[in-house]
Amino acid sequence: MIQTMDRKNMLYGLIFVALLCIPFVTDSRTLLIMFTQIFLFGIFAMSYDILLGYTGIVSFGHAMFFGIGAYSTGILMKQIDSTIPVLLLAIVLAAVLSGLVSYLLGILSLRLKSHFYAMLTLAFSGLFLVLAEKWRSVTYGNDGFTFSIPDPLRDRMTLYFIALITMALVFLLLNRFTNSPLGKVLQAIRENEPRVESLGYNVLHYKVIASVVAGVFASVAGSLYVLTLRFVNTSVLAVEVSLDALLMTIIGGVGTLVGAIIGAGLIEFAHHWLTGLAKVHWIFERWLIFFGILYILVVMFFPQGIVGTFRNWREKRSVRNKKVIEEKKNISG
Amino acid sequence: MEVLVNLAVNGLATGMLIFLLAAGLTLIFGLMDVVNFGHGALFAWGAYAGIWTYVTTGSFVVGILAAIITGLLLGLVLEKYIIQPVYGNHIQQILITLGVLIVLSEMLKVVWGPNQLSARTPSYLAGSWEFGDIIIIKYRLFIIAVGFIVFFLIRYILKNTKIGLIVRAGVINKEMVQALGINIKKVFMYVFMVGAAMAALGGILLGPYSGVIYAEMGMEFGILAFIVVVIGGMGNIKGSLFAAILVGVCGSFMAYYVPALSLAVNMLLMVIVLVFRPQGLFGAKG
Repeated sequence: MIQTMDRKNMLYGLIFVALLCIPFVTDSRTLLIMFTQIFLFGIFAMSYDILLGYTGIVSFGHAMFFGIGAYSTGILMKQIDSTIPVLLLAIVLAAVLSGLVSYLLGILSLRLKSHFYAMLTLAFSGLFLVLAEKWRSVTYGNDGFTFSIPDPLRDRMTLYFIALITMALVFLLLNRFTNSPLGKVLQAIRENEPRVESLGYNVLHYKVIASVVAGVFASVAGSLYVLTLRFVNTSVLAVEVSLDALLMTIIGGVGTLVGAIIGAGLIEFAHHWLTGLAKVHWIFERWLIFFGILYILVVMFFPQGIVGTFRNWREKRSVRNKKVIEEKKNISG
Repeated sequence: MEVLVNLAVNGLATGMLIFLLAAGLTLIFGLMDVVNFGHGALFAWGAYAGIWTYVTTGSFVVGILAAIITGLLLGLVLEKYIIQPVYGNHIQQILITLGVLIVLSEMLKVVWGPNQLSARTPSYLAGSWEFGDIIIIKYRLFIIAVGFIVFFLIRYILKNTKIGLIVRAGVINKEMVQALGINIKKVFMYVFMVGAAMAALGGILLGPYSGVIYAEMGMEFGILAFIVVVIGGMGNIKGSLFAAILVGVCGSFMAYYVPALSLAVNMLLMVIVLVFRPQGLFGAKG
């Protein structure tokens, strides 16, 4: 077991180093931008996985926290000054605000059944969308606004490294979180909520913690996202953003952080690729159909996602191998 | 005074449209315990298929029939191939029906193009009656009438017929009904088809009411229908009717008096209801 853990960590380390090298190997702008997007959506998907994969909560309002991060960063950059300290302040502010909102939302609605909670999160993020559309003096409504970013960050490569390193840090942090005793309680809630409750745990309390953690990290992803675009409008709050997070988590594999990153990579890559194919055949303009079909098939046949399915397959294989070894021993002994 | 009456009639008409959508949703939830987030797409499909037939044949009645048939067929396919494998698992239902919503909404654009379609009111329902300053648009009255007819029809079927008895029994105890030799799976399928057909009917009725139909309306009205079902109490037809009218009337008054809030009023209503009465206004405690 320890050996596999070591091998796994080494593999992750190798991938990280490889990703660090990419900007030195290629100078393709589109590739760099795509990878940067993958990293920050990886953060977003990991934060969503804390809810869906580790605690078993379906939320349709995750875009709300993404949007809080996006708007806080954009507004502070535009209204105050585009310097590094202001940027850091914006990210911290967004995280605190997201934490507060997710805390309040959690306290109010996490005691409800799953479908009610899903609806309520949809409603709340809808309210934020309306707020962003109506508060034109600050948000410029639907049109959004552009803003400048601190000079040292103007380079695409710098942003690439920042996104990659942030993703790695978030991964380590959340990995620590999910492996802690608290994280284990969350997984127990996912598996069997009534039993956890009867063991004396305050389920609501733990669910609220999961929702706050997810909200805070989603806002970090939002902050990074607008930093790469230098533009923010109401699309960061759209339902589609929440659905994207859902899709990434499901396809990659619920309940695994790596799965969330892989899912984010696949979706972003497929998005680029399929929209490029639109020139080949008009049906690819409707690439959402393929996503939808894929999504249904995954939920039906691979509810564990890519990583989960792979893991099951490997476990089965190792069990079989062990049996073979034991049988051999028996024969020789 | 005139304004009040006009607003109330408008709100009632919108409410009835939402009711048609919400009634199917709540019927499906009440009996089958299935959360169908794809319900709005059935509404949009009803609208497109119905309006297209209406424009091609020139007959609104044929259009309505086409919408209902589309709803029944889609309902049949969905229940058989998508919903059946995920009975009993709410989270999977939410996820899979969401996929259905995405696919069906995009398919609309493949079949009828990405642009919105316009829909005209048939001549015999166009125009309005005027009583002094009160203007009653005929088509709105027609929608209200259809809504009430459907409501009383469902109530009659549920309360006074054998199939209604089976459905109600199924809500209370599936296993017992199955043990009595009734194929509850078949009953589930019919209920899902009827729910889908009601959504499709709502869709085509919306066409002439709003003038245009577009693929995204599935999502938009689906959310609205869910809000109504949640406010009314999941699985309760009477609650759905009451909540749909409440949402419709509140929406129309807000749009007139406080336009800034009109987009948020439904969400606010739901939040308030859920916080104080999580089971909905008419829902049983549970």
